[in-house]
Amino acid sequence: MNEGMVFGGRAACFLPIILVLCLTRNSNILPVAEGIWLTIPSSGTKCVSEEIQSNVVVLGDYYVIDENNPDHIPTISARVTAPFGNNLHHNENATHGQFAFTTSESGNYLACFWKDGSFQKDSELTLGVDWKTGIAAKDWESVAKKEKIEGVELVLRRLQGIVETIRGNLIYLRDREADMREVSEATNARVAWFSIMSLGVCIAVSVLQIWYLKRYFVKKKLI
Amino acid sequence: MESKWRKIWGLIGLLLLNFVNNVSSLSLTITKVDCVYEIVRSEGDIVSGNFVVVDHHIFWSSDHPGIDFSITSPGGGILHNLKGTSGDKFSFKAPRSGLYQFCFHNPLSTPETIAFYIHIGHIPNEHNLAKNEHLDPINVKIAELREALEAVTTEQKYLKARDAVHRRNLMIRYLYLDAANESTKTRVIGYTVGEYILLTIASVLQVVYIRRLFSKSVGYNRI
Repeated sequence: MNEGMVFGGRAACFLPIILVLCLTRNSNILPVAEGIWLTIPSSGTKCVSEEIQSNVVVLGDYYVIDENNPDHIPTISARVTAPFGNNLHHNENATHGQFAFTTSESGNYLACFWKDGSFQKDSELTLGVDWKTGIAAKDWESVAKKEKIEGVELVLRRLQGIVETIRGNLIYLRDREADMREVSEATNARVAWFSIMSLGVCIAVSVLQIWYLKRYFVKKKLI
Repeated sequence: MESKWRKIWGLIGLLLLNFVNNVSSLSLTITKVDCVYEIVRSEGDIVSGNFVVVDHHIFWSSDHPGIDFSITSPGGGILHNLKGTSGDKFSFKAPRSGLYQFCFHNPLSTPETIAFYIHIGHIPNEHNLAKNEHLDPINVKIAELREALEAVTTEQKYLKARDAVHRRNLMIRYLYLDAANESTKTRVIGYTVGEYILLTIASVLQVVYIRRLFSKSVGYNRI
């Protein structure tokens, strides 16, 4: 954290440089290691997915991390697919890439990475994936510029956005629970109805039996 | 002069938020062993997260051993070791900065899908406050507020993943009785009506048999 804190008069000099370095997503200049790192096996693909609702902004950024030979970084291919199979992003022979889209349907969004055939080493590759959805993908710098807010007010706006996301999630979870409860109750009602019906048929049939046999025996003068 | 410092602190605030926002929420399919890496930037950061096994194999077969989960610190020591779980939460204070490994081991050969969420939260503490008089105490409070909100978000992601798993299990179990599907509806009704008809036929046969017992001349067999 101390890298961001520059004090005194030097702030004005260092700040633009640091800002530029941090906001460019090029790992060769300053490795901004946000997000998780995955290992891609030497054969096969590594896929990550997330279940996303519709109308959500998704921002993705991936970059190969290789400290062994910085001159000859291995390349990977990437593909991002929507739940119904549409191809949202495709990249071949690259060391880094970015994609951004707004989801049109809710479902499972899949991002797959695999090693390129040109660099067939037996080693595993480390890939950094920065996957942001919803409020985390919002571009706050443009909001700050557009509405001319800064500092504490901007931070509080961000917190307000997070709170609204939390509220949306709560409502979503509550609706899902209500759905599940309805399904459970309907199914239980159906099970109960079937059991009672079969019990009723059993009892009716046995009552008919006894009534018929009694009438028969009375007719045959046995009782 | 005052507005210039305000602008600088605003930009520094933005920078701080750029680094503090370290979240990742994804689903991964593991075959044997799979690891996810995250860089913790400064020691004392709180790392919190959760994971849920999305596949229903674990719920269906009671003799499934579950998934093993371990967290390794950059020094090589194992911080957390959970064996045979189908989902759990974790939270710890990072003893040092560096690369942390979150590994999932699958004892069986069937691939399992795991939805995980990791959040690294940083609060500039009072120690830094004393050293640098320019750090506004409000930033510490805002960071704490933000971490509290992120804790709620983390919990919500866990609840969402578990709700999705339970919903899937419930749907599979109720598939037989869920008469929304036309073919299952006719099948279920067919089975029930067949059961009633069978019951009636059995009772009619009983009556016929008893009648035959008594149809011979009454003098010989007085039952």
